[in-house]
Amino acid sequence: MWRPSNIDRPTGVFIGLLVLSLALVTMDLRASGSGLGSTMRDGAQSVFTPLEHVVASATRPVADFFESLSDLFSLSSDNQRLRQQVAELERQLQETASLQVRVSELEALLGVDPPEGLDSISAQVLAVGVSEFDQVRVIDKGALDGVGLDMPVIDEGGLIGRVVAVTDSVARVRLITDPTIHIAVRIERTGETGVLTGRGSGPMVLELFNTDAAVVVGDLLVTADGRFPAGIAVARVREAARSEVGFSLRTTADPVAGLTRIDYVKVLVFTRDEATIGGLEDPSRLPATVPPGGTPSEGDGDQAPSTTTTTTLAGSAP
Amino acid sequence: MKLRRFISTAVIVVMAAAVQTTMFARIRPFDAAPALVLLVVIAFARHLPAEAALLLGFGAGLIQDLLSESALGLWALVFTTAAYFVLRFRDRIEDDFSLIGPFVFGVTVGSLALFSVLGTIFGEKTLADVGLIKKILLPSLYNMVLAAMILPFATWVLGAARRRSSPFEL
Repeated sequence: MWRPSNIDRPTGVFIGLLVLSLALVTMDLRASGSGLGSTMRDGAQSVFTPLEHVVASATRPVADFFESLSDLFSLSSDNQRLRQQVAELERQLQETASLQVRVSELEALLGVDPPEGLDSISAQVLAVGVSEFDQVRVIDKGALDGVGLDMPVIDEGGLIGRVVAVTDSVARVRLITDPTIHIAVRIERTGETGVLTGRGSGPMVLELFNTDAAVVVGDLLVTADGRFPAGIAVARVREAARSEVGFSLRTTADPVAGLTRIDYVKVLVFTRDEATIGGLEDPSRLPATVPPGGTPSEGDGDQAPSTTTTTTLAGSAP
Repeated sequence: MKLRRFISTAVIVVMAAAVQTTMFARIRPFDAAPALVLLVVIAFARHLPAEAALLLGFGAGLIQDLLSESALGLWALVFTTAAYFVLRFRDRIEDDFSLIGPFVFGVTVGSLALFSVLGTIFGEKTLADVGLIKKILLPSLYNMVLAAMILPFATWVLGAARRRSSPFEL
């Protein structure tokens, strides 16, 4: 027969801890990302990072085993898909090379300097969020490597997120699928602008300001000017837009970056202030935009072997 | 002995958080991972004295808060509640061993649902997540499966199986 445990003292402790928790929450929210909570987080992350390194190494065989099990089923289809992708990329490379020559000639004619690429820092994803609700990744590069707050993070597909916390050796990246992140985007094909919002998981919501804009399935969305440098591929439209009662056209879009399996990423050395200043005073600092068709733009060949490289923004995945 | 148990429990909680953020970043069947730290809290709260179990919940939650982006204290509140829930029901569970699996499942579902609600109240927009049901149910299911390993492990670490005669004695 069930009988309640001695509830007096434990219940008192329980209520006390609840009050303490609520006080902490209030304090942290009032500090809004700075203050004691932020300092404690940075400290905890610094202390925790060496342990994560050790545990990641120790558990690698187990993780490898499970990964290879799951890979086994998709290996054949992946192989075929990658062959097609290689063929397609080779074709695009040839086209790009010829276009590059043509662009250089035209620029020389017009006397225009080519837009410079952004510096980038290569990093590896060290850990993920501690719960399913955390849309974050911890990367193994920090302030000492040049990573700063608000810098955009990309992979070979496109935008992953932005840096929200930095310690000396690691940085925390908030993914674009986080419901609190809004990204100003434009449809690459038409130039129409809108806002892309994460929904925690699955496709993101796209809202376009022009309700008459034509949105086709597969349209590539790239970042518009704002928090992120313009021209980074973000998502592809999943379904044709439908107009809602109101002022915007709404649809969904799938992120082009591989958000579920991120191994290596690049942090773009870019902040919003730089964009503003660059836009007003020094147009040459503005990032390159992805050319139509999603082909990689020029500059890929300039990559230096060092950690910090000059990179042209990621184009769309074919 | 108390100090040894305290240290081993603290080490296991920290290790659970490290395994959660590294190994379960790669092993994610159906794109979800178990809530390992919560499972450790449930497993140890079954045996610890009441106050110690509540402090364990609070401390483990605080560690999870420090490693996550949510407001500091949110997971602490959720884990303390989970520990309290375990305290209130652990006698009944001990009486009927077949209830342990569903109990772990239920506590995990309740805790994650509580976090979703609190997260939304405190501006995390957790309930706006389209995959919310999956993010609650799959970790709970995995926790129920892993409970077959973690619960006996906690019993072994605390040396509780052969000694415990009442829920508050250790």
